[in-house]
Amino acid sequence: MTGKIVLDRSRCVGLGLCEAVSPEHFEVGDDGNLTLLREDVSADELDIIEEAVEACPTRALVLERHR
Amino acid sequence: MTTNTISPQDRVFSDVDISSNAFWAKPFDERESSFAELRHRGGVSWHPAVEVSFPHAEPGFWAITRAEHINQISLDHEAFITDPGVNVEPIPYALSKSLTFFLQMDKPEHTLLRSLVSAAFTPKQILKIQDQIFANAAEIVDGVIGAGEIDFVGRVAGVLPMRTVSDMVGVSPTEREAVAIAAERLIGRSDSATGNPADVLQGMIDARDFLHSVGSSLAAHRRSNPGDDLMTNLVEARIDGVGLTDDQIGSFMVLFAVAGNDTTKQTTSRTVYSLDRNRDQRQWLLEDFDGRIGVAIEEFVRHGSPVIGFARTATRDYELEGQTIRRGDKVVLFYCSGNRDEQRFADASRFILSRKPNRHFGFGGGGVHFCLGNGVAKTQLKALFGELLRKAPDIEVGEPEALVSRSINGVKRLPVRI
Repeated sequence: MTGKIVLDRSRCVGLGLCEAVSPEHFEVGDDGNLTLLREDVSADELDIIEEAVEACPTRALVLERHR
Repeated sequence: MTTNTISPQDRVFSDVDISSNAFWAKPFDERESSFAELRHRGGVSWHPAVEVSFPHAEPGFWAITRAEHINQISLDHEAFITDPGVNVEPIPYALSKSLTFFLQMDKPEHTLLRSLVSAAFTPKQILKIQDQIFANAAEIVDGVIGAGEIDFVGRVAGVLPMRTVSDMVGVSPTEREAVAIAAERLIGRSDSATGNPADVLQGMIDARDFLHSVGSSLAAHRRSNPGDDLMTNLVEARIDGVGLTDDQIGSFMVLFAVAGNDTTKQTTSRTVYSLDRNRDQRQWLLEDFDGRIGVAIEEFVRHGSPVIGFARTATRDYELEGQTIRRGDKVVLFYCSGNRDEQRFADASRFILSRKPNRHFGFGGGGVHFCLGNGVAKTQLKALFGELLRKAPDIEVGEPEALVSRSINGVKRLPVRI
């Protein structure tokens, strides 16, 4: 199984708790906006991305899982 | 439905007291037994306004005490707003506004003003100040090793956040202690209450005015000497072509000083005590400090539960657990209670450093008001406990003297031998 990260920009406030979990996927820039460095999630990254999604206090992230 | 005609004044107050001075003078664990009873009864209860010695017009408030409800309300920014007030107590509106900057604002204003500050709190920016925080932590701990019996709060726990806050915003070393003291006066506002209403409010106003004057002079300095820092961002910001007023910058200064000083300070004091009284947990952390400190810090913050709670106001009628919260009603989200909710945390009163998941309320209940400084706080806790556990393994910790406060679960003094 693989996955894809979906970001809801209307909810994101750029706190960067996701970046603290996985800096390979998430980066908050100096302008405070979050960039998804990579949307695609490999099978062995699913757990860490799930953790990043859970860490988001504004619930701006969703992990879509693909079979 | 007859409930449609019930005005707030006519509602029946809960028989569980969480409003009186007597209640707030109790230790945290005794207060928790009342919150546990409220959670058990559904977690949504109507109470008289928290007792204060000055006049007010607040008819009462809803206490929200269950974890799931605190998250639900925190995330619903349409139904619950902050502008009418965020304090547990009925603090006068104008005074409260002058203390809270973007905390007591809603979108779109909140989004705009918070973004001016949040650029200083991104993970990348925190990495830039990390070395300074670690150096400060080392200096503070080195300065007390071998000092014998000291007050941990005054000599250690309060010092690191005071330096971090001052460094971030440019407060000079000669003034930083006065800034921390003013912040403490604001949160301990009822601790030294004489019963004279004028004194309580005047004490808050004096502390507010001092912090506003500090903010204004830092702003004036940065207007004429711009740098690459937070205060320069604030003075150079233009919203629809208009810059921030001195009052807004003053209110930023109060928020920054209060939120930055007393939260981390209290968590540090509570944690040094908990680590001493739970040797098995301390041992577990020491076995792999670098690998375990991240998860442990979440438990430091949950268990220490530094912020008691914040208020919201309903913008419409809202049904919750069979109760009708009316439009205009004040609700208080008791983070201290959410952090002890057994529905979310097994053995909630215990200090268990490996706890995971740990969806606590130490930084709020989620949503756009989530603690901006959480990353700075975690960096400081990591730095300080790394130093302490390594350099002072034999520290002896006495009994804390609690601060009486409706906003912070504070420790006034904590004797240690180091």
